[in-house]
Amino acid sequence: MNGLLVLNAGMFATIQDRGRYGYTHLGICHSGAMDEYAYLCCQMLLNNHNHNAIELMTGLKLQATAQIQIAITGADLSFKINGISQPIWQTHQIQIGDILSFEKRISGQRAYLAVKDSFVLEKKYKSYATTLKENIGTKLQRGDFLVCIPSISYHIYRVVSKIQKHQSPLILRVLLSYQESYFSKKMKEKFFNSLYEITLQSDRMGYRLQGQAITPSTSDIISEGIAFGSIQIPKDGQPIVLLKERQTIGGYPKIGTVLPIDCYKLAQADIGSKIKFEVIEITEAQKKLLTFNRYFKAYFI
Amino acid sequence: MTLHISSVDTLIIYFEKSISPNILDQVQRAYRLLRPIEGVIDITPSYNSLLIQYDIMLYDYQSIQNIVRKTLVTDSKDTTIVSYSNKLIKIPTQYNTTVGIDLERVAKINNLSIEEVIELHTQTVYRVYAIGFMVGFAYLATVPQQIITPRIATPRTKVSKGSVAIAEHQTAIYPQDSAGGWNIIGHTDFNNFKSFKVGDSIQFVSLS
Repeated sequence: MNGLLVLNAGMFATIQDRGRYGYTHLGICHSGAMDEYAYLCCQMLLNNHNHNAIELMTGLKLQATAQIQIAITGADLSFKINGISQPIWQTHQIQIGDILSFEKRISGQRAYLAVKDSFVLEKKYKSYATTLKENIGTKLQRGDFLVCIPSISYHIYRVVSKIQKHQSPLILRVLLSYQESYFSKKMKEKFFNSLYEITLQSDRMGYRLQGQAITPSTSDIISEGIAFGSIQIPKDGQPIVLLKERQTIGGYPKIGTVLPIDCYKLAQADIGSKIKFEVIEITEAQKKLLTFNRYFKAYFI
Repeated sequence: MTLHISSVDTLIIYFEKSISPNILDQVQRAYRLLRPIEGVIDITPSYNSLLIQYDIMLYDYQSIQNIVRKTLVTDSKDTTIVSYSNKLIKIPTQYNTTVGIDLERVAKINNLSIEEVIELHTQTVYRVYAIGFMVGFAYLATVPQQIITPRIATPRTKVSKGSVAIAEHQTAIYPQDSAGGWNIIGHTDFNNFKSFKVGDSIQFVSLS
């Protein structure tokens, strides 16, 4: 068979795509690539249309049983082919027997590995995305085999100008929304003037932050749908930014929502690093997202 | 009915701020009307709200609001009765302080004995008002006034599957291990969570 054999699954590696939309009424969450920017760059490099990728953290080791064109983007996890360091944010031509490894985290959290014409897998609810708590999708295990269609390309494609730099503090642009009125002017000022720190309790569901406590005037609301990037304020006042694997419904007040393109940066930020929030207005926010969407439009399915 | 921006590409519709079968009907009727609109990516219905994600390459926040309003104004003349399956599901539940780690707290906050909490929780026939949070998680209401309890201050990173819990006026069963901030008062081995549908009736039965 042609494809990639998993020699070591590492810390955490799953199959993802842009997410599973249209099923939240059943409680099925969106899931999908945490850093959609890196994910879409990966597909753009390969000109893939019906696509998926491995979202991986350190430790993943694969062996190819065919000639495959691949692309790697996202976090720098010291990507090597047969033990030799290779650049990322570009395509590579893999030969039969080649070993791909990601041994050490240099910067960022999640890398993406896609193959030309994508891994041959079955969709569930119209998506390849993996959601562990729903038992949907594929979490890689040692010995798994990912079937690919062999491909050869003598061109190397690179993403040059768009590589994201990691800032400190990371500025997250926030649209005040939802229960904004439950937060007094003083609380909002406190929220936007404070530095928050990313805690260890951060995962694909959400990033829990630590810093100045924020108190809403009501601590419980009638449970309602939760948008991507919602900043939920539980009773202890410590914000949680809800990301791809967030619950579909929840009842903590939300001060606003982080712009999706900033959530992708947050998904690559280190534990312990600093966050600062900044207000953005709806017109400006839509403009920013439109620019992103138009850029990647051809790769949206 | 009011419309609010909830994120760069979602808006939320709020109906009257309370929990009642009548509002549930309004939500479900609106859900069915809005679902087929082109460019509507996802809709999350809940007790008294609908979260709508739309394609911003087709609509901006103003044009989507106009379309939603127009669709729902037509609805006010719509008298179609929303039909539900209306089945009654009984949930055998263990109530004690070992599995119900917050049972004592719920009793204390409400000045009740543990036995009274159990009695109040089991005497009510609840209705499924929404499915969400995760697959098979049914939001049940309304909890008797005497045992309404706010969520815990810091959500737990792990609540085990089968936990029976209360948050404010609602109760639910965790269908999977997950993070959660509800007060856990008991445990059930019931496992057919996918059978829950909005509108169903649910009653807890004490095993102790």
